[in-house]
Amino acid sequence: MKCLLIFVVIKQLYVMERSKKTLNQQSIISALIYGATYLPATWLLKHQVFSQPVSIIIIIVPVIAFAIFIFKYIKAFSAMDEVKQRVQFEAVVIGFSLTAMLMMILFLLGLCGISNSFWFGYGLVVSYCWFFYFIGWLISRRKYGA
Amino acid sequence: MKNTIKVERAKKNWTQADLAKHIGISRQGLNSIETGKFVPSTLLALRMAKVFNTTVEALFQLDDSGM
Repeated sequence: MKCLLIFVVIKQLYVMERSKKTLNQQSIISALIYGATYLPATWLLKHQVFSQPVSIIIIIVPVIAFAIFIFKYIKAFSAMDEVKQRVQFEAVVIGFSLTAMLMMILFLLGLCGISNSFWFGYGLVVSYCWFFYFIGWLISRRKYGA
Repeated sequence: MKNTIKVERAKKNWTQADLAKHIGISRQGLNSIETGKFVPSTLLALRMAKVFNTTVEALFQLDDSGM
């Protein structure tokens, strides 16, 4: 009876661990799918000329991929242990704060007529946002050693 | 915040991975708690106390500075 109980507990822990890993993998895969749709969509819209309905469809594809990624990310977040949740939370806060600061600086520079759309266009601001998130992630990981 | 997780772990002859599995967190997460880098939630502290068959107060103590 005791052996059966231990077996059930171990199996339950294994299933929980496996579902956590699956959720993490799903969020990473959906992030990669988002990247794989966003970059070609950007390239197509920049270098090819399409009718307006086709352009809108091309725009919608990465947006849907991003929405799926956010959904999967939130699901994975809720399955993480509390240390990993803290690391992700701080990474998102640092990423969001730095992006908001960059946008504020760009807006103020734009008011003075000092702006460089090549280095600070909308497309690149998205990349900077991801870059800032990863900076936050590295800082937080280092802080908690997780 | 000080803790006696390492001592309790040694009593049971458990590795960090063993304890992490018992309380349902990652080994790295447990390492952050054990080294005092992260303060666990009440739920996790209670879970830890339960597996060691002790109390939360025995497992976690305030520093001299009260932090």
